[in-house]
Amino acid sequence: MKHARPRPIRPDWIAKTLAGLVLGLTLALAASGILSVLTADVPLAVRGQLAMWIVPPIWLFTLGLVYFFESGLRAWLWLGGFNIVACGAWWALRAAAI
Amino acid sequence: MRADHIRIYKSVHTWTGIVSGMALFIAFYAGALTVFKEPIERWASPPAPAPAQQVPLDQVPQLIARTIGDHPAVARGFTIHVRENEGIPARMAWDVRDPGAGDHDESSKRHFAATLDASGAASVGEVHPSRLGAFIDVLHRVVGLPFDNDPGRWFMGVVSALYAVALISGVVVLLPSLVKDFFALRVGRNLKRMWLDAHNVVGIVSLPFHIVMALSAVVFAFHDQIYDLQDRLVHEGKWSSAFQRPQTSAAPPPPPRDVGTMLPPAELLARTREIAPGLAPTMLQYQQVAGPRAVVRVWGKDTSAISPRAMGGFVALDPYSGKVLDSDYLPGRQNVPNLFISSFFALHMASFGNAAVQWMYFVLGLAGAWLFYSGNLLWIESRRKSARNAGANPVQRLDTRLMASATVGICLGSVCGISLMLVAAKWLHGRVGDLTGCLQLVYYGMFFAGVAWAFMRGAARAGIHLLWTAAVVTAAIPLTSAIGWLVPQTGAWAHGSAATLGVDAVAAALAACFAWMARATARRARTGRPDSVWAIEAARQPAPAPGQALSLDPHAR
Repeated sequence: MKHARPRPIRPDWIAKTLAGLVLGLTLALAASGILSVLTADVPLAVRGQLAMWIVPPIWLFTLGLVYFFESGLRAWLWLGGFNIVACGAWWALRAAAI
Repeated sequence: MRADHIRIYKSVHTWTGIVSGMALFIAFYAGALTVFKEPIERWASPPAPAPAQQVPLDQVPQLIARTIGDHPAVARGFTIHVRENEGIPARMAWDVRDPGAGDHDESSKRHFAATLDASGAASVGEVHPSRLGAFIDVLHRVVGLPFDNDPGRWFMGVVSALYAVALISGVVVLLPSLVKDFFALRVGRNLKRMWLDAHNVVGIVSLPFHIVMALSAVVFAFHDQIYDLQDRLVHEGKWSSAFQRPQTSAAPPPPPRDVGTMLPPAELLARTREIAPGLAPTMLQYQQVAGPRAVVRVWGKDTSAISPRAMGGFVALDPYSGKVLDSDYLPGRQNVPNLFISSFFALHMASFGNAAVQWMYFVLGLAGAWLFYSGNLLWIESRRKSARNAGANPVQRLDTRLMASATVGICLGSVCGISLMLVAAKWLHGRVGDLTGCLQLVYYGMFFAGVAWAFMRGAARAGIHLLWTAAVVTAAIPLTSAIGWLVPQTGAWAHGSAATLGVDAVAAALAACFAWMARATARRARTGRPDSVWAIEAARQPAPAPGQALSLDPHAR
C-alpha cells in the first residue's frame, strides 16, 4: 500500500539522539562480542584490541544515521530489534563454539 | 532521499559542527605541527655545551655497568640512543615518574642522563630536554586544554564524536547534489556560494582522512572505558587479569644479575639487522635488566612498512643471550591481526612511508583546520541580515557577532600562541627557571589576549590585527634563528641540520601566508559589502551619512 503523501519525518531530537547513544553502544558491544567469538583463535591480547577498535565505528555510525528514522519511537524499536538479533547471534555463536 | 531528511541532517551538521569546530581547529593546527614534532624539538634544543660529550657506542657497556653500579634503581629502565642529533642530550637517558601521576601523563616526568667523564667514571645529571613539541602534542590531544589527563581526554573524545556525526551528516546533506556540486568551485560575486563549494570540495576530498581521525580519536579518548565494559561483558574478566602485575611471591627476589655480562649494543644491533634488514635503529630501550625478565627493545623506523607506533616499531631481545622475545611490533613482520591494529595507529600518526607521507599529513591537517574555520564562516554568513535599500545597514544579530569574534579569537589566538611559544623557547632559554611552565604561560597569555581582543574590538578589526600578529610572530621564528647565527652573544642559536632549517623555512612560508590573509581581510573590511559582521563600522552605525562614517574611523580609510 502506498501513501498518497509520505508522512513527515519527525525530528524527535532527544529520543533519536538517546537511541543512537544508548542502543548504538549496546549494538557495538554485541558486535564486538560476535567478533571476539569469531576470532577465538587469535591470542587475547590482540583479539581484545580488535574488539575494542570495532566499537567506536559501529557506535558513531549508528548515532550518525539514527536521524533517518521516521520518529523517535521507530528509532528505539528498530535499533532495539537490531540489538536483540545481534545479541541472539552472539549467544548462538558462543553456544556453538562451546 | 527525501527533502525532510536533508533538512534534518542540515540541522545536525550545523549544530555538531558549530559546537566542535573551534576545538577541532586547534586540534588540527597543532596536530599538523605534531607531524614534525621531532624537527621542532630539535630546533628548540640548545646546542650541547661540549659537542664531544657523546660516549662512543663501543664504550656503552662500561657506561651502563658504572651507572647502574652507582644508581641501582636505573636498572628498572633506561634508553641508549643510537642516533646523535640536536634533540638528544646524551647517549644514556632515563625518566623518573612522579608516583602520583596517571598512566598516560607524560608531563610530570623528570629526565636524567649519564655520560663517562675523563677518568671513566659515570657522571649523572638531570637534563631538561625541550618539551615544546610535547606541549604542542598536548594541545593537539586535548584540543587546547592545558592538561593531558582523563577529563581532558574525555572532553576531546566528546568533541571527536561530534566531529564524526558532523562528517556523516555533512555527507548526507551533500550526497543528492554531489555529482552536480563536486569540483564545481563557483568563483564569482556570490561569495557564500564560493565558500560553500570550497568547504564541500575540501571536505569530500579529505573525507577518508577525516573518518580515520574522528574514529581513532574517539578510541584514544575512551579505550580504557571500552576495555572495562568489554572485560565484563565479552572477555569475562580475563582481560584485566591478563594485564595485572604478577603477584609478588613470598619467595625472596633473586639476586640482581651482573649487567656487565649483557651483550654490547653493537652485537644487539647486528642481531637486529639479521632479523630486520630494513629497520633503521633509533634507540635501545632496556627494561628490568637486573631481574629475571630482562628485555631490550630495539626501536627503529622502516620506511617501507607500516609502523605500529608513532616512533616506529621494535623487536624485543633478551639482552644477555640475544634471543628474540617478541617481534609482534616489528614493522613489516607483523601478523595480520597485529598489522590491522597497527594500521589504525599508523593512519592517525602518519607513521608509515617516508617524508612525503608526513608532508601530505601536514597539508591535510592544515586543510582540516581551514575546513572548520570555513564552516563557522558559513554559519555566520547564513544568518546575515542584508541591507534592503542603499545606505541603511541593518544591525547584525548578536549571536553572529559573538560567533565571529569567538571564531577569530580562538582560531587565530591559538595560531599566534603556538608561534610565539617557539620564539620564546629560544629567547627564554637559560633566563627562566621553569622553561616548560613559562612557555605554557606564553601560549595561554597570547591565546586569551587574542580571544579578549576579538570580543573587545569585534571580529572585523580583530581579524586583521590578529592575522598581522600571526604574521609577525611566525616571521620571528626564522629571524630568531638568523640572529642566533649572526650574533650568538644574544643567547639565541641556530642549528644547521636540514630538519631544523626546514622548521625555519616552513615558518617563513606560513608568515607570508598570514600577511597575505591579513591584507585580504583588511581589503574586505574596507571595500566589501557593508551589511556584514566582517565590515568595519557596519554593525554599530544604523544609518550614517557615507562621509561621516569614514571620518569617524581611522581604520576605515
